[in-house]
Order: sequence, then C-alpha cells, then structure tokens
Amino acid sequence: MIEDIRALARELLEKGTVECVIGYEVGPTGRVRPAFVYEPADVERLIFDARCYHNLVTYLTRRNKPRKKGEEVPTTAVLVKPCDARSLQVLLNENQVQRDKVYIIGVACPGMQNADGTPELRCTRCDQRVPLIYDVLCGEPPEVPAVTDTYDDVERIEALPLEERLAYWLGELDRCIRCYACRQACPTCFCSVCEAERDDSLWVGIADRIPEKAFFHIIRAFHQAGRCAECNACEAVCPMGIPLSLINRKVAKDVAQMMAGYRAGESEEPTPLVTMLTGEEAIDEIH
Amino acid sequence: MSERTSNQVDGFEPKIVAFLCNWCSYAGADAAGISRLELPPNILPVRVMCSGRVSIEMVLKALMAGADGVLVLGCHIGDCHYGSGNHRTVKRIPLLRRLMTYMGIEPDRLRLDWVSGAEAGRFAKITTEFVEAVRALGPLSLPLREGL
Repeated sequence: MIEDIRALARELLEKGTVECVIGYEVGPTGRVRPAFVYEPADVERLIFDARCYHNLVTYLTRRNKPRKKGEEVPTTAVLVKPCDARSLQVLLNENQVQRDKVYIIGVACPGMQNADGTPELRCTRCDQRVPLIYDVLCGEPPEVPAVTDTYDDVERIEALPLEERLAYWLGELDRCIRCYACRQACPTCFCSVCEAERDDSLWVGIADRIPEKAFFHIIRAFHQAGRCAECNACEAVCPMGIPLSLINRKVAKDVAQMMAGYRAGESEEPTPLVTMLTGEEAIDEIH
Repeated sequence: MSERTSNQVDGFEPKIVAFLCNWCSYAGADAAGISRLELPPNILPVRVMCSGRVSIEMVLKALMAGADGVLVLGCHIGDCHYGSGNHRTVKRIPLLRRLMTYMGIEPDRLRLDWVSGAEAGRFAKITTEFVEAVRALGPLSLPLREGL
C-alpha cells in the first residue's frame, strides 16, 4: 500500500498536478508526524500504518488561499482515512476547501492503534474502512466485523446523578490550560479569529479559570454540532488528557437522535443546525 | 453577587433573563403590559431581532453571570419575520438543553417557547410558569460563576 502511495505522490508532484502532498512520516524521535512533501525526491519519506492517527484535513483550510495576491490557490494532495474524509466533506459543504484544489488520496484504514499496540477505542466502534470521498483509493480494505456505535461511553456519564455529572465535568475541565491545541488540531475549527481569543473578550474571558475554561469547551463542542466527524484529533493532542470526545460524541449522538439520523460529513447536506426544518426531525418538547 | 448568595432559599427570588424576539414576543410582552396583566417582576427582558439570534453564548453567559433561568421566546414556527430564523432556534435550544443536562445543569432552567404579538395572556402564563419552575429548582449555584 505504501508503495502505491509513494508512486502516486511522485507522479502527482512530477506532473505538477499538485504543489504539495500531505502525508505521514517518521520524525526524529521515532514518532509518526504529518509530512509536507514538495519534491518528488522526498516521497520516500512517506509512510502509512496504524500509528497515523492525525487528521491531515486540518491543514487544508490554511492552504486555501493564494501565496501572493493575484496568484491561484495551490492544489494540495492529502491522505485521508475514512474519518478524515468525513471532516473533509464538511469543509467542502461549507466552501472552506475548493474541490478542484484538493486531490484526495483515500487510504483503506486498518484502524489506528495506541502506542502500546492496542486498537484505538474509537476505531473499535467504527465500521468504515474506505473513505466516502476520494480521487484514488490506496490499499485493500480489510474485513471488519459489523459494529454499531452504541455510545456506551456517553451513556455511562448520562446515567450519573446530576450533581455527580457537574462535579465530574468541573474536575475534568479544570485541568484545561487553555493551550487551544484541541482547536488547532480540529479540521472543522477554522475561524480566523476565535471567539475565545478575541481582544475584546466579548463572550469568553481570557482568564485561566474554571468559568472561562468550561465556557470555552462547551461552545467549542456546540460549534462542532453536526460537523464533528469524531476523528478524535482534539483528544489526541490534549496535553492534559481531558476526555473531549465525550462532549463531542454527546452532541453528535443528540444530533443524530433529533435530526433524523444525521451524521457529519456523510452527505452534501450542511449541519442541520443551520438549515430549515424538514419535518423529519424528532426534536424534544421545547419546554 | 454577594447579596444573592447571602439570600439563599429563604425568600429566594429567581432572576430570569428573557430573550424576546422583536417582532412577536416583545410585542406580546408589550401587549401584556398594556393589558395590565399581572406579570412576575423577575424577568429581565432582552430584545433581540430574532430568536434565531440567541446563540448558546448568550444563554451560557446569562447563566454564568447570575441568572437562575433563561427564557427564549420567539415567533411561532411559520410566522418568523425573517422566514426561518426560528427553525434554527428550535433545533439549537433543545440541543443545548441536552448538553446542559449532560454537564450537570438542570435543563428546566432553559425554556424556549413561542409567543405571538397578540398573545399577551400566553406571555403572562409562560413567564409565571417559568418563574415558578425556576423557584422550585432553587438558586443556580455554580462554581462556574465565581468572579465572572
């Protein structure tokens, strides 16, 4: 599979179809990191295995502008796993990435693994092994048992009494140091000026205290409603180990329940939170 | 803030922030006043151009800055001055109610309802009901709030 990816990357760069190929490489410490390949000679750096958990779609929005005034937006090739493809679809729906400026190299996903070789929890819940959108597919999709995501982790929190839930979240969110790594890693968090970092602190104060931290995480999760593809990039980069996926997955679960099974990035429909009622929703009683 | 913390459950008067849409609910509230209907004094109205304008930031900020409940009132579905503003509200607020519950805040502190410009009686009924519901829940004591 990696030979296919390298050959394809070399061909794209030599022909000048794309300016850059975004993939994965092994860094100097032996860990896998994102790689930006501009020269055909460098394609040997590219790798792909079960350690490539990063969502490379994040980098596309930042490349979606011309280098200089009057120049064209550069074309970029990007490696996408099935979950990454869903976040890419969200960006395409929202016109954040131009479809003809991105060359999608889909990879058949073996399922990602933690550092100790155990499968990542999210990958054990996922039954997608082939991206929903791609220009070229590399690799043979592995057989996976049919699994359905039961949101058991979210339900565990939901089952706690109210006060314990509040205590749990205050405890978890208090660890936040407001480094904004979650926001930076998130492909669908692309505002050029973040509401949490505005100079006038209109909504979210800049202090590193519980009110501001909780506020930041709640609004960030809500802004991803119907847009989060559950790629887990935010949780993976959190230096304090905050279970951010539990918030995002709760919102995703409720969106699916209320908005006729909507899942982010599976269609060209934008998030239902910005569209009109279709009559198929099962929205809770409003009071 | 210190005043309200010293003034716990005994004689607790809930503080309610109500976001009223300019075209229906604000007119409804106005009509309720003109008709001399009895209204609870706990409501702090904020006029917004559309209930679709009420972002979750506004709701959360109100709760964190000292409100015990937030009421969002808009035009009935189909009557929105802008056509479909309240279609967004009707999805957003229930979703936020669920997320609030998940995070450990009683969902009944947030209520969305529809009041048209002619429904003065309905405005009085909803506000009275909501104030009583929040009074029953007691003051919202969030460590979240301190110092905000």
